[in-house]
Amino acid sequence: MNTLPVDLLLLSIATPLAVALVISLGMPLRLAKGFAAAAFAVPALVALFLWSRFACEPLHHTYAFYKVYNTGLQGIGIHLALGLNGISLPLFVLAGVVGLAAGLYAIQSNAERLKTYLVLLLVMQGGLMGVFASVDIFFFYFFHELALIPTFIMVGIWGGKDRSYAAMKMTIYLTVGAMLSLIGLIALYHQSGADSFDLITLREAILAKGLSACVSKYIFGLLMFGFGILVSLWPFHTWAPLGYGAAPSSAAMLHAGVLKKFGLYGLVQIALPLLPLGVVEWARPLAMLAVVGNLLVIGFITIAQRDLKQMIGYSSVMHMGYAFLGIATFSVAGVGGVVLMMVAHGFSVALLFLLSTSIYHRTQTFDMMEMGGLAQKAPVMAALFVTATMASIGLPGLANFWGELTIFVAAWQFSHVLTVLAVTGVVISAIYGLRSAARVFFGPQTEAFAKVAAEKPVTDLTCCEKLPALILVAALFFIGFWPRSISTPLNSAIEAIYHQPAVHAPAVAAK
Amino acid sequence: MDAICIALITLLTPLVSATIIALFLRKQGTLAAAISTLAAAVVAAGALTLAFTGAHFGVDKPASVEWLRLGNFTLSLGFKFDDLAALMISIVGVVGLCVHVFSLGYMHDDASKARYFGGLSIFMFSMLGIVLADNLFMIFIFWELVGFSSYVLINHYHEKMSASDASKKAFIVNRVGDFGFLLGIVLCYWANGTVNLNELGAGHNVYSTLIPLLLFCGAVGKSAQMPLQVWLPDAMEGPTPVSALIHAATMVAAGIYMLCRIDVLMVPDALTVIMWVGTITAFYASLCAITQSDIKKVLAYSTLSQLGYMVAAFGLGSLDHLDESTKTLITISAGVGAAMFHLTTHAFFKALLFLGSGSVIHGCHHEQDIFKMGGLSKKMPFTFVTFTIGVFAICGLPFLSGFYSKDAILHLAQEKNMAVFAILALTAVLTAFYMFRMWKLVFFGETRSHEAAHAHEGGLSMTAPLFVLAALAVIGGYTEEGHNIYQNLFAGVWSQIPHAEGAEPFIMSLVILIVGAGAAWMLYKPAATDTLEDKVPSLFGFLAVVKASPDWIYDWYVAKVQQRFAMLLKFIEDMLLSGLIIRGLSGVVGLIGIGARALHVGNLHAYVYWFLFGTALLWAYAAGWLF
Repeated sequence: MNTLPVDLLLLSIATPLAVALVISLGMPLRLAKGFAAAAFAVPALVALFLWSRFACEPLHHTYAFYKVYNTGLQGIGIHLALGLNGISLPLFVLAGVVGLAAGLYAIQSNAERLKTYLVLLLVMQGGLMGVFASVDIFFFYFFHELALIPTFIMVGIWGGKDRSYAAMKMTIYLTVGAMLSLIGLIALYHQSGADSFDLITLREAILAKGLSACVSKYIFGLLMFGFGILVSLWPFHTWAPLGYGAAPSSAAMLHAGVLKKFGLYGLVQIALPLLPLGVVEWARPLAMLAVVGNLLVIGFITIAQRDLKQMIGYSSVMHMGYAFLGIATFSVAGVGGVVLMMVAHGFSVALLFLLSTSIYHRTQTFDMMEMGGLAQKAPVMAALFVTATMASIGLPGLANFWGELTIFVAAWQFSHVLTVLAVTGVVISAIYGLRSAARVFFGPQTEAFAKVAAEKPVTDLTCCEKLPALILVAALFFIGFWPRSISTPLNSAIEAIYHQPAVHAPAVAAK
Repeated sequence: MDAICIALITLLTPLVSATIIALFLRKQGTLAAAISTLAAAVVAAGALTLAFTGAHFGVDKPASVEWLRLGNFTLSLGFKFDDLAALMISIVGVVGLCVHVFSLGYMHDDASKARYFGGLSIFMFSMLGIVLADNLFMIFIFWELVGFSSYVLINHYHEKMSASDASKKAFIVNRVGDFGFLLGIVLCYWANGTVNLNELGAGHNVYSTLIPLLLFCGAVGKSAQMPLQVWLPDAMEGPTPVSALIHAATMVAAGIYMLCRIDVLMVPDALTVIMWVGTITAFYASLCAITQSDIKKVLAYSTLSQLGYMVAAFGLGSLDHLDESTKTLITISAGVGAAMFHLTTHAFFKALLFLGSGSVIHGCHHEQDIFKMGGLSKKMPFTFVTFTIGVFAICGLPFLSGFYSKDAILHLAQEKNMAVFAILALTAVLTAFYMFRMWKLVFFGETRSHEAAHAHEGGLSMTAPLFVLAALAVIGGYTEEGHNIYQNLFAGVWSQIPHAEGAEPFIMSLVILIVGAGAAWMLYKPAATDTLEDKVPSLFGFLAVVKASPDWIYDWYVAKVQQRFAMLLKFIEDMLLSGLIIRGLSGVVGLIGIGARALHVGNLHAYVYWFLFGTALLWAYAAGWLF
């Protein structure tokens, strides 16, 4: 069904990987920076182009640009099948755009061993594009691992304080999460009786056969906890603030912004439509964990943070609570809200991590108590930070509002009490969001900051820092004003794949 | 050009202005001011055109577009323009333009003029959105946006700790109100199947009382009613024209406007709650105003009190009234009529008073303490004349606008609930008392500070808006048949106003005015200290405690409850999860296989090699080389 003259999806995955290879073979730093910039730009441009083309493409089982490549793995049912549907399209765009911003921010940074850093980021970028372009769940998983490994290495080498502990912890958690979800995926494949990992084939096989409630329950449980750990479901979240706190900025942007969405994406694209009976079993516990754990407990813990980066990390954990709640509603609106929220959160958290590093370069600390009055020296940075904060606390006009609102509306039909508790999140996030903006930027300068500022003059954002930040701000505003650009294809895709011809009675498959 | 098109231009012009300023004019303050003021002029022109042409749209047939649809959730953006919207948009347009022009003078030397005017433009856009919206979701969207612009403008002098704290407080307290508002909207969406203002109706289900009360929470936050009134006095940290536009005339009145929009949802129980919240707020705030020494704080508490009046009026609900000519009993939405009437006149005289205080503050080189002023009537004659009109209007001197609107509310209270009437009448006495106290201290006697001694009138851009608003504060109340200055405009709202007959209202108003104003005039000496504090320290101390106690309670809650709870959870998180469960979990991983742990997590580089090895193995297997 691919109507494009060039295999753009493959191009968007291969370009960063190929350039990573070329740079690692050795070239001067200036040239490497140029190549890297181009390699980050290609996926972003491809993603935007495909987004603009999506509406008029013919669909193959909800997928546009669908194409299967021969990989030599057909023997065990693995094909490199690439395509985008309404669910993966927004995330593909997210990956492209955040990747470009993170790449540009890395290029202008003066990290040690910058070339190695760029190579790892490029590998990560290739993996990310692959995750969301893959229709085959084997490659979906493969690309995730491809993107995950560079994260560990980047935290371990370029990380801040406690980097080895953070890298270790992240690795343990994410490996366990990934292994659980891998077991779940393999079980799903096995139970479906299909001879292919292709999601379309799997889906047809499962619809034809029907999985019993019991099987669905176990597989969904595996996937829920496996993917859940990857998305920092409470109480398996502790890797996230620690890891992000230590991670170098571009790695944190890409991981928190994009890679972390892998787990939610797996639930939305694979687990929910294929295992409806399992969802019904798990919806309540999942929603309870999400609302009480992620939203309320973590919300309050976020209020207590003094470290700016940890605060952003915790706030990101908290916002995942909305996403899990939306998933638990198991409705088109709820799940649509989750995807909207994933995209929006990706842009806003990446922007916050970017700015937090820029703040660090000026204040030499992440401790918010030792900052203050930065807006007097850096008004543009203050404006961008307030924008990012407002986005993350769900101000209308910026992207995150739509997802949160839709999830609240959908959640009411699922559970009144949990909805009321979840909506308190809008107050909690306003408290920590505005408090951090005030502590960092407003009020008089603190003594500690005045001392730092006296040693080295504090400047506003440089052009090179501004460019990636503005890319992200533009994305937040665009979706904030025009959510339909995402929601229209999203709605038709969810309606198509969540529509179950008939829910199979448990007896059919129990045998 | 059709009306919807004019409405769109009116709505979007300030947004365009704000965008241009944010993107290109950050350092060109003067140009930014010009563009923003021009946008405000376009808004005023558009608003008045819509009002004078008697446009109605979005009432019978919807004028909306679907903006977002996911499953069974649909959100539309659209216009509903009737007499209520026409009245509100005219107020926003006229007061908005006055404030923009005033700001040209007031903010002339400000270093961040561009940000200020950009903020004003965003505010105009957001406020117009609330006025024009045809459904609750859209109201909520713009509701949050006015909150944001208020945050930005309160925080204008952001290097001051007090401004930073006040802006934060305003936003968070409003969010508390919006928590209920949002729940109310969601509940309304599912219970009534719609949030469109035209399709709403009071349902007969378990939620019919809950929905209006939850929606009222939004108004409690935005219109600063008890117990969320604490943010408004602090919001005076913003520049004075902002206080006039946002924290007196328009945004804080949006809560009352929203209530009038959802009037059909109201049930008696909900109205009773609303009535008492408004009444208590009105009385409480007037007590607080008595002890204030900051000219803007007096006006802020006065605003709270007047907003309480409007909310109480709305809560009093409909009134049966005998039509003399046809001898039939007709029911009017007296609550809506009286509330909107007072909203209108209050917008004029309170914007006038705030801009007047801005003129005083500007003239006195940013001195805000009324005990350091005095004798300004000679030094600032224009400000004195217009401010005096404002003072008499708010005190309800017959034939000025405030007289008519306050009389309508008192009359309605008299008909419906004597207790409320008594409290509101007492509030009116107190209003006259604190306004005359301020008036005397600011404008009469000897000047009491160096700043006041060198006071001077601002330029034309500052005096012209004062005269425009003063004129409106005089004539704005003539809505009755026979001497209706609005002609046929806003007939849908004016026809709902309850009117008392005969000489009674005149007598009542004069008594209130004479008692309140007379007491203040007798008591206060133009001195550098508060006469009440000198003479009756116990009463003054009591009033000060009354004023401060809500802030104490909130501060105590934030510092001692919320923060401690957060710290406790953080402590548990750090200790338990990081200390024990993690180790436990890595132990579990270890149990799964010490080998696996070594392979995967012992060494990051090893992990890479294992990944590559596994991939190669898989390929080899798939290609059939292994087995």
